[in-house]
Amino acid sequence: MNVIEKLEILADAAKYDVACTSSGVDRSGRNGQLGATRAAGCCHSFTPDGRCITLLKVLFTNVCTYDCAYCVNRKSNTEVKRTAFTPQELADLTIGFYRRNYIEGLFLSSGVVGCPDRTTELMVEALRILREDYGFRGYIHAKAIPGTSVELLDALGRLSDRLSVNLELPSQQSLGLLAPAKSRASILAPMRHIHDSIADDKESRARKRKNLTIYQSLAKPVRRARAFAPAGQSTQMIIGATPESDYHILNLSASLYQTMQLKRVFFSAYLPVVKNPLLPATDAVQLNREHRLYQADWLMRFYGFNVAEIIDEDHPFLEPDVDPKANWALNHLDFFPVEVNTAPLEALLRVPGIGVRGAKLILRARRQSTLGEAELRKLGIAYKRARYFITMNGSYGGKGVDFSRDALHARLAAPIDGGRHGRRAAKTTPGQMTLFESTEQAAVLPEASASNKAALETAFEAQRRALNAANGPVAGIAIGASAAVAPSAAASCSTSRREENAKGSSNAAQRGMPQAAGHRVTNPGHPLLQVG
Amino acid sequence: MSVQHVSSQGAQRLGTQSQGAQSQGALSRDARSRDARSRGTQSLGAPPSPEVYDEVAYAYDGTLEGLLSAIFAAYANHEYPSDVAPARLLQPRLGQRVAYIDTNESHAKRVAAGIRRQCGSYSFEAVKRASLSDQPDAGTAAYRFVRYAMDEQKRRDCATCRKSASCPGARGKGPCPKRRAAAFSDISHPAVEPLFKITRAINNECEHMRQFIRFQHLGDGQAQDLWFARCNPKASVVPLIMPHFVERFNVQPFIIYDEVHHLAGVYDGGDWYLVNTGSAENLTLPLPDPTAEEQLYSEAWRTFYRCVSIDARYNPELRRHFMPKRFWKNLTEMQETPAALRMQG
Repeated sequence: MNVIEKLEILADAAKYDVACTSSGVDRSGRNGQLGATRAAGCCHSFTPDGRCITLLKVLFTNVCTYDCAYCVNRKSNTEVKRTAFTPQELADLTIGFYRRNYIEGLFLSSGVVGCPDRTTELMVEALRILREDYGFRGYIHAKAIPGTSVELLDALGRLSDRLSVNLELPSQQSLGLLAPAKSRASILAPMRHIHDSIADDKESRARKRKNLTIYQSLAKPVRRARAFAPAGQSTQMIIGATPESDYHILNLSASLYQTMQLKRVFFSAYLPVVKNPLLPATDAVQLNREHRLYQADWLMRFYGFNVAEIIDEDHPFLEPDVDPKANWALNHLDFFPVEVNTAPLEALLRVPGIGVRGAKLILRARRQSTLGEAELRKLGIAYKRARYFITMNGSYGGKGVDFSRDALHARLAAPIDGGRHGRRAAKTTPGQMTLFESTEQAAVLPEASASNKAALETAFEAQRRALNAANGPVAGIAIGASAAVAPSAAASCSTSRREENAKGSSNAAQRGMPQAAGHRVTNPGHPLLQVG
Repeated sequence: MSVQHVSSQGAQRLGTQSQGAQSQGALSRDARSRDARSRGTQSLGAPPSPEVYDEVAYAYDGTLEGLLSAIFAAYANHEYPSDVAPARLLQPRLGQRVAYIDTNESHAKRVAAGIRRQCGSYSFEAVKRASLSDQPDAGTAAYRFVRYAMDEQKRRDCATCRKSASCPGARGKGPCPKRRAAAFSDISHPAVEPLFKITRAINNECEHMRQFIRFQHLGDGQAQDLWFARCNPKASVVPLIMPHFVERFNVQPFIIYDEVHHLAGVYDGGDWYLVNTGSAENLTLPLPDPTAEEQLYSEAWRTFYRCVSIDARYNPELRRHFMPKRFWKNLTEMQETPAALRMQG
C-alpha cells in the first residue's frame, strides 16, 4: 500500500476530529530551519462543508483495540481497511505539504495499537523525526491517548505545541455506556497532568526570565528544553448522541475552562457512522444545536459571560431562534439601553450586534468624536440589531419599536444561515406568515423533524434500559430525567418555550427536568471532574 | 475659475509652477477656511460642493513615491486636488484639469518623514498600503487623510502636559510622541474612514495570500531547485507578504509571481527582492519542469482534501465565503487533475 492510499484511509478516519486550529503560539523562523508559527493561526484551505484545513489531520493508525460504539475505527467494525504510517512516512509527508504551503503543521491522532504506551511511542518517534531530524518549527497538535504513562506524555508534550485529550461524551454514564474502555478517571488524569505540566513549565520559564533561578553548576545548559505544549490543551465532545442537555454541556465546559485552563472545548454534532441500537439512527445532524453551543462558548471565552447568565436549569436548552447573547439581552431589558459614547467595554460587549472587534473600534473612535448612527454604521457595527439596545449621545436608536421582550424578540429572531445547498438549506422561510393559520407549522430543518425526534427517543430509551440493567435504577433516573427533554424538543417553536418560562420551575419538575443530584452542577467541582 | 479643459487622453504634464495653480491661490485659501469651519458638521464623504475642491486631478505613476510626490505637489502648489490617482486608473471628471505629477525621490522622502513625524509610523503604513491598492480612490483617500491629519496634529498641543519642558512637541518639532497615533484613531471621521477601509482590505488580501499561495517544486532538485507560486491578488501585496514567506521558507529559494500586477517576489536563499515584469511584452517564464516528487505530493494533497470533507455537513456557500472562487484557479486542491495547474506564463 503506498502513501497516498494510506493517507486516504487515515485522513478519512481522522475527519471526525473537529479541532483544527493552529493558534496559540508565536514562534519566529530561524535561519536554516523550516517553519514558523503565528499566534493567530492560518487556515490554508476550506473543505466543501466550509470547515477550515489548517493542519494535516491524520491518524497514525486506524487499528484500534477499543470498541467505542460511536467510533468509525472501533475494533468490531469490519468494513474499514486497517493501515498505519511509519514515523518516517508521516514526517516526510508533513514536510512535503508544509514546504508547498498546503498546511500550517501536523495534527496527529491515533487509534490504540497494542497498548496506549506503544501508540504514544510511535507518535513520539514521528514527531521527533520532524522536530529534531528535520528541524521543523511549524505547528504540531497531538492527541494524548488516555492511559499513557506520564513519561511518554511528557515527551509528547515537549515535541508538540498543543495537546488534547478527548472527553468524547459529556457525562460519565454515557461514557460508560458507549465507550466502555474509557472511564472518567482515565480521561481526566492525563488532562490534569497536562495542565500541571504546562503550569510548571510556564512558571519555571518565567523564573528563568527574571533570573530568579540560581544554577548549581557553572556550566550553562547546552540547549534549552522545548516548552511543554506552549499553545495549551483542548478537548472535544460529541453532541446529540446522548441525552445530555445544553445546560449540562455548557456547565461542564465552563468548569473545564476554569479548572483545567483549556484553550478550547470543541463540540461535534453526532453523525451516524456506525449502526448500533444504542445510538440515534437519524441522519439529521444537530448542526444548529452545535452552532448555538459554540455561540455560548464564545460568550464565555471572549465576552465575559458567566455560564449561569447564558443558561439555567429551568431552561436546559439554548433558544433555537435567537442567539444566546440576544436571549440574555431580551431577559435583561433593564440593563439597556446602553450609551455607546460612555459605556465601558464590558457593557458594550453585552449589546447584541456589537462584537469584540466592534466594541474595541467604538472605544477607539469615541476618544475623538461623538458617535451617532452614521459613525456606528461606518465602524461596521450590526446597527440593525444593536439599535434597540443603545442610545447615541442620548438619542435612542430603536424608536418606533416597542421596548418589550416580545417586540424585540420578533426583531432579533433570525434563522441560522446553513447555506442554500446543504441539508440545512431553508426549504421555507421560518416565521413567514401563512394564509392558513390552522395548518401545523412544518419543521423547517431535518434535525427538527418528527422522524428525527423519534429516532433520538428510541436510542435514548435503549441507552436508559442499558444503564438500568448495568448500574441499577439510581443512575437510570438521572439520565432518564434529562432524556425527558430530548434535544429535539429544543427545536420546538419559541412561544411554547415562553409559556413554560411563565409557569416556572414547578412545571419543569413535573416534566422531569434534570434536578437529580447527578446533574446539579456547580462550577469549580463538576461531578465529571472529580477524579475518584 | 481658470480651468484648463483637456481631452480625456491628454494627461497633461504640468510642472510644479503651472499657470493654473498660481491663479487659483485665492480660491484655495477660501476653500480651506470654509473647509475648516465646516469640519465635523459637513460630511466630506458626501459629494463636496463644487467650490470646496479645485477642479484638478493629480495623476501619478502608481508607486508609493509617486503618491507621496503628488501629496508634496498639492502643498507646494497650494492646490486641493479633488482626485489623486495612478495615471492608469484616473478617469477625469467633466471639466477637470489633469496634472501629471512627476515622481521625485527627495520630495517623497520629505513627505514620508513628515507623515512619520507628525502622524506616527502607523499612519505612514496606512498611506503605504493605499499606494498598493487597486482601488481608484485609494490615492485620494491617502491624500485627504494626510491633509486632515497634518492640520489636526497642529491642534494637539501639549499645553496641559507636565513634561512639556522636555517634550519634543513643545519645541516645534512635531506633536507629542504620545499623541502621534491619534491621527489615525478617529476612524469614524470622513477623512480617515476611507483610508482605514482600504488598509483593512489590503490586510485581508495579505492574509488571503498567506493562506492560498501554493508552491510547486521545480527543477531537478540539485543544480536547479526552485519553488514557484502564482497568485492573483486584488492589490499588489507581494511586497507585504514576502517577509512572512521568507521567514518560514528560508531553506528553499522561491518565487511568488503576481500575474495581475506583473510583479515577482524573488527569494534566492539569502535576500529577497522584487522584479517588475510589467514592461516585458508577452512574457513567457522559462520555468524548469516540476520535480518527480511534485506530482506525488500534489496528488496526495488533493486526496487529503477530498477525504477530510464530511458530506453530511455540505455547505458550499460557507466555503466560498472563506475561500472566494477567484483564488481557485491557483489552488492545487481545486484542480480536476494535478496537471491542470498552469505551469507556463
